[in-house]
Amino acid sequence: MKKSTYIYRGFERFWHWSQALLILFLAFTGFEIHGTYSLMGFENVVRWHNIAAWAFIILIIFAIFWHFVTGEWKQYIPTTHYIKAQFEYYISGIFRGAPHPTHKTVYNKFNPIQRLIYLGLKMVILPLQVITGFIYMFYVYPDNPIQVGGLGITALVHTAMAFVLIAFVIAHVYLTTTGDTPLSSIRAMITGWEVIDMDEKEEREKHLQQAVDDSVAGYYRIDSEGILRDVNEAWLRMYNCKDRNKVIGKHFSITRNEKNLAEMEELVNKVLQKGEMITGYPVMRKTFDGKAGKHLLSANPVLEDGKITGMEGFILDIHDRDELMEHMYYAVRNSGAGYYRLDSDGKIMDVNEAWLKLYKYDHKDEVVGRHFSITRKSKDLNDLKGIFDSVMNGESVSGKLITRRCKDNSKGKHILSASPFYIGHKVMGMEGFILDVSQLYEKIKS
Amino acid sequence: MLLIKKSRERFFRLLSLFIAILLPWVLGILYLSKDKISEGDVLTEVNFKYDTMPRVDHSKFGILNRDFKSPQELTQACLACHNMTAHDVMQTSHWKWTRDYVTDEGDTMQLGKKNIINNFCIGIGSNEARCTSCHIGYGWKDDNFDFDDPLNIDCIVCHDRSGSYKKFPTMAGYPADTEMVFGGVKYSPPDYQNIVKNIGSPTNQNCGSCHFVGGGGNNVKHGDIANELKDISREVDVHMARDGGNMSCVDCHKTDRHQISGKLYSIASTDTNRVSCAQCHSGSPHKDKILNQHTAKIACQTCHIPTFAKVSATKTHWDWSTAGQFNDDGSLKIEKDSMGNLSYHSMKGSFVWEKNVIPEYQWFNGKARHYVLGQKIDTSAVVRLNELEGGYEDPNSKIIPMKVHRAKQIYDNVNNTMILPHLFGKDTSSYWKNFDWQKAATAGMEAAGLEYSGSYGFVETVMYWPINHMVAPKEESLQCADCHSENSRLAGLDGFYLSRRDRNSTLDLMGFIMIVLAGLGVAIHGFLRISGKK
Repeated sequence: MKKSTYIYRGFERFWHWSQALLILFLAFTGFEIHGTYSLMGFENVVRWHNIAAWAFIILIIFAIFWHFVTGEWKQYIPTTHYIKAQFEYYISGIFRGAPHPTHKTVYNKFNPIQRLIYLGLKMVILPLQVITGFIYMFYVYPDNPIQVGGLGITALVHTAMAFVLIAFVIAHVYLTTTGDTPLSSIRAMITGWEVIDMDEKEEREKHLQQAVDDSVAGYYRIDSEGILRDVNEAWLRMYNCKDRNKVIGKHFSITRNEKNLAEMEELVNKVLQKGEMITGYPVMRKTFDGKAGKHLLSANPVLEDGKITGMEGFILDIHDRDELMEHMYYAVRNSGAGYYRLDSDGKIMDVNEAWLKLYKYDHKDEVVGRHFSITRKSKDLNDLKGIFDSVMNGESVSGKLITRRCKDNSKGKHILSASPFYIGHKVMGMEGFILDVSQLYEKIKS
Repeated sequence: MLLIKKSRERFFRLLSLFIAILLPWVLGILYLSKDKISEGDVLTEVNFKYDTMPRVDHSKFGILNRDFKSPQELTQACLACHNMTAHDVMQTSHWKWTRDYVTDEGDTMQLGKKNIINNFCIGIGSNEARCTSCHIGYGWKDDNFDFDDPLNIDCIVCHDRSGSYKKFPTMAGYPADTEMVFGGVKYSPPDYQNIVKNIGSPTNQNCGSCHFVGGGGNNVKHGDIANELKDISREVDVHMARDGGNMSCVDCHKTDRHQISGKLYSIASTDTNRVSCAQCHSGSPHKDKILNQHTAKIACQTCHIPTFAKVSATKTHWDWSTAGQFNDDGSLKIEKDSMGNLSYHSMKGSFVWEKNVIPEYQWFNGKARHYVLGQKIDTSAVVRLNELEGGYEDPNSKIIPMKVHRAKQIYDNVNNTMILPHLFGKDTSSYWKNFDWQKAATAGMEAAGLEYSGSYGFVETVMYWPINHMVAPKEESLQCADCHSENSRLAGLDGFYLSRRDRNSTLDLMGFIMIVLAGLGVAIHGFLRISGKK
């Protein structure tokens, strides 16, 4: 499926083009210093080379910061996955018009060869240029603490890396033409948007993984023995735990007081032995600093080849709920926890099975791409619009009691949590979980 | 709420990470870029003061108001008041014509003009009366000169500010005692009454009366100090020019008890009591940091004396082997070059003179070695009569400019030793009277107490004369490209990397091939893609 995607963010594009300009300018001035040609005169060219070098250093500092803030550095982690396929594509497949073996996504922008080359650039070539450049600038024998035995080797490495960079630029510019159309990659680096051939499944998996990682809801997974196998950051925060290693591999009993343990064991048994699903079950936790807290727990069996091998689910903190809401959460049992994701225009991008069940849809295709207004009666719509607007402003909403409109036009009540999801600093939409309280609500009302 | 708290935590975590990443850079930059130029170091605020020694009017002293019969009588009068000065003077190299030199073996020996030979008029031994016309004494005509007699000191050659006092060129340091003529110049007995009215610290005229004319003529030896320095524009020498610093020799060559600082390594050997530019200008006088960094390895003179011998020419080559030719009528053969300088003389051989000379360059750490009479020479190479020590790896070495004087001079081709010939004297063996090298060599070597095989030849020799004067205005200093270029002035210095001058041609070839291959690869790949689509 082809889709226009915002793939390069503002800073990224600024950084890329500044870097391109600086590398070309440094090469141009550097090779005059080297003696390849004479255009600007030695004194001028040295001055400009030094100025450009300092500018590059500043850019590198900002780029390092950006990579860590955004987590984009992970894009450069090398992988052998598909690397052979990628090579084969470049040396044969591309001539037959074969499809790219890997797909560009926001979460995986680089193919395995790009990952390797760019990592080499960032970890070897540019650092070598910076180090040798600094030696060149500040090496004054003999009153310098760094003794490098003359500038011969420094200059040799600096020049050699300059040749490598030029060869890289040639190949790099050429390979930009191997995108969807010859100019689409360059256009993307200018505008940020690129039409890319997306693997929807891969994209969704990646996104869900990220949604779990970044969620305000705690995620956990335990194996059939009751040993904790995975938790996310939110889970660690709720349990006041700083070190994941204190959790992983431990029995879930460490998360409960004695008096609450029996209840938890009962729940776990239900899931692991009977294959039941638990949704929105209020429980007490014991945090790692010995305090108690309350949260809603959902749990479902982990299935492998039809056998139950563990249990996983989410927890939503309810420590600051008011009494009524707390009672309501307590009363909520066995309602499906639905997950949804909306884009910045309010269109539904993704929902899960439980959501479909709550809204009485049969298949995701019925709702994906449609505006969230289909899920509300007109008189309830403003509620959701209000939530949507505040989330788009970066706020999070949780524990909101809300009325939904199902496919068959019937109504239901659920509690909604909503939080913005980001790409970099930019809010790209809203996502969250819903827990059904229809029956309970009816009961309390009556 | 939670998200805001979470994002704030995340922000501070990332901020601290960022600071951690940044910190070494900031420290590095601060450390490396700390400005080395402080207020007082700026060139316009040179640390120079004219000498303000209190002065007295010597003409008012009774002891000086009498008729002196001989120069020694005047010296005696001087010493009557300056009664410790003779002791000081007799410690100086101006008096001894030697300095202490510690050999590699650790022995201290006396080395200097007195016993070192050069490739101009070669050496003093047996030629004293002519050479010592530049000695600050009276009567050093042979080995019997008494270096301990204070009355032999010539005070006024340095301290007569009237400019009238002259030593006669061939009288072992004495002035003329009657009206005499030498080389067409008239010499009169000293006018002592005029002189005592003008006693004072030395002027450029005093120093120059010997140092400007070393080698027997103006600018012959040094190349960077000559008679014209008494009156030149700042284009020639910013320090001594009337429209420049208007400085005198002793303003830089500071003196303590007659020990004058500064020396030239044509005869000096040790890294002591030197004059340096930094004593006024500081070690990092430029506003540009890169230029200041250069001072670690480049002497000031290298850039600031782009050429020397700017007004009068200096001698750069002397071929003794052609001496002894005469005109057909038997008269002395004398030829001049286009600048009017002597290019041939029967007594001395052939000369090459050069003007506006571009110096040659060499590493130098303040120490020099000299050929000592009696040492064996290696005739397969040019014989170095002095050698400046130093090299790139030596932290005390800097690149300095030099005048290089090349010559062909007499040597013993059996013993392989240099010969100190007897040149001057009205006797039967001096070369300048008899034009017989055999006699001159025999007499000269005998006087020096050295062995002579009886067979002589001529060998190529070279001397290195560091250049320190004729500092040009800053606009005329060397530019980057004078050294950082293919035609580098430092082309002769190897063993270190000099950008733009040096490059690795293998790397260049490999780099070029890599870029061509990248281009070709791209072209072929692109062509196959396009043709594949059709």
